[in-house]
Amino acid sequence: MQLTIAIPSGERSKKFALDCLRRAGLEIPDLTDSRSLRLEFGELTLLLVKDPDVPVYVDVGVADCGIVGQDHILESGRDNYEPVDLGGNKYRFSYITLSNPPARVERVATKYPRATRQFLRQRGIAADVIALGGKIELSALTGLADAIVDIVETGRTLQENGLVERERLLELSTRFIVNRAALKLKAATLRDLIHSLTAISARIPA
Amino acid sequence: MPNVRLIPDGTRYSTPQEETWRERLRHQLESVLHLWGYDPVQTPALEVFNPHHPLAEKGFKLVDRDGTVLMLRGEYTTSVAQLVQTLPTPTYPVRLRYSGPLWVRTRDAELGRQREYTQVGAELLGVQTPQSDAEILSLALGCLDVVGLPKAAVEIGHPGFVKAVLEQTQLEPDKIQALRGAVHRKNAPELNRLLEQYGIAGQTRAAVLRLIDLYGSVDVLREAKEIALNAEAKDCLENIRAVAELLPPERFLFDLGIARGLDYYTGVIFQAYTPDFGQPLCGGGRYNAGLPAVGFALGLERLTTALGEAPSLETVYAICTAPQSAQRLRAAGKRVIGAWTDKQAELEQAALAWGVPYLVLGDVALRLEDGVRCSVEELCS
Repeated sequence: MQLTIAIPSGERSKKFALDCLRRAGLEIPDLTDSRSLRLEFGELTLLLVKDPDVPVYVDVGVADCGIVGQDHILESGRDNYEPVDLGGNKYRFSYITLSNPPARVERVATKYPRATRQFLRQRGIAADVIALGGKIELSALTGLADAIVDIVETGRTLQENGLVERERLLELSTRFIVNRAALKLKAATLRDLIHSLTAISARIPA
Repeated sequence: MPNVRLIPDGTRYSTPQEETWRERLRHQLESVLHLWGYDPVQTPALEVFNPHHPLAEKGFKLVDRDGTVLMLRGEYTTSVAQLVQTLPTPTYPVRLRYSGPLWVRTRDAELGRQREYTQVGAELLGVQTPQSDAEILSLALGCLDVVGLPKAAVEIGHPGFVKAVLEQTQLEPDKIQALRGAVHRKNAPELNRLLEQYGIAGQTRAAVLRLIDLYGSVDVLREAKEIALNAEAKDCLENIRAVAELLPPERFLFDLGIARGLDYYTGVIFQAYTPDFGQPLCGGGRYNAGLPAVGFALGLERLTTALGEAPSLETVYAICTAPQSAQRLRAAGKRVIGAWTDKQAELEQAALAWGVPYLVLGDVALRLEDGVRCSVEELCS
């Protein structure tokens, strides 16, 4: 049965996703030198999309399933199935300020405005959310924002820039997501893949 | 820059080719609903804003001249249920159908999703029996067949079952809500984590975990018996089984982990899918809007997206220079256009470009393909 999988194009996340799929038994040749965005191997099609776009491709059904970091799943707000935790790099959403933060937080900068608004609302913080493209730390250092919400892996960048991780909001990992129609119409194929991925995820080193 | 005015996100101009197709699809669907005994109704596109409306947050709002807030119609079910209550002494059950545009402000415009879109649907009101549920389910399938989607399958669920199984945990509402979210996304790792955190173990825990895997053929109804531990769960299962018994099994799928619309739907719920199209073509279910009812709606734009390209336009049959000839052909059901100039060469050129087979000069018809002449009478037959 034809199966289309969206995988993230970011170097590290792509490598992890391909690794998972190969371990789950899919035959995917070496793609190190490939520049194709769409790769077809018999009945399998891989779409290489920007990490935050994986949930979109799956939700509209262009891809049957995909592999993506949970930060992008949360930010997308898309209504996909999320049956497997693939593990991978453990990282977290965190609330971060300068070591001597301003008395009142009025502006929070982030790459994840949707998720950040949700967190702020849950914690009753009435601050504006400033959506930035990256290097979020700089916004707190320069006064563009009073605090930031960002993903943290080791915390080294924060330390080197004199920032403090005030609260770990959510632990994150890489997930396997599935389109709602595809799970039902390609049930046999996808059930197998879900089982294989679940089985291997227990063995993937962090 | 061509002088085209911008139109809002998620709205479309419909070309003659597309609109002809849409018109035909609508007509096909309405004919099926008509044959099943459903009578047409229409509701105002402008509704008085009601904060308790299911789409209250998502609708387009306008302000009326006296300051009343209005909302553009975002779905039909609510207003059709109200319309029924204005009918003079209806004899239940009442069968109604509707067709028209809807607007949703908050939706992102993307593949198969518009902010202005069209639904064709039906409601069977004032009755609550497995037979009425099965009628609406069969009708939905009949609609998909008539538009040419014979591989479409209808998936049936029962949010009441999910609710009942989750209530077996006897947890507080916010925790049940969290479990429900994980069930809705078939998020096994999250569900495991929550059950662990809430200290749910044994049979109850196993039952909740099974919920997300109970999808597939009618067999899942039998499997589901094992996790129906309380009376509510057993009732829901019995209800969906009674409906399933009235349906041909090969076109129906089941998912007992469907947890959407828990607060709205009161019985079976369903969506239809077709291979290689990742979005539901139609949706519906049993609800209560002051009276028990079951209904469904098809998204016209979903159908056209799933079906692919619009078929080419039907060409006209002839160009006529004499109005009398044109009238006679039209009376015979032929689609003909009148000449807009005296220049025969220009008419012939247009006819060739459009693929119009005949040019009728006075009462003589000229077949352009080979120059053969015949009378208008002959063309009429």
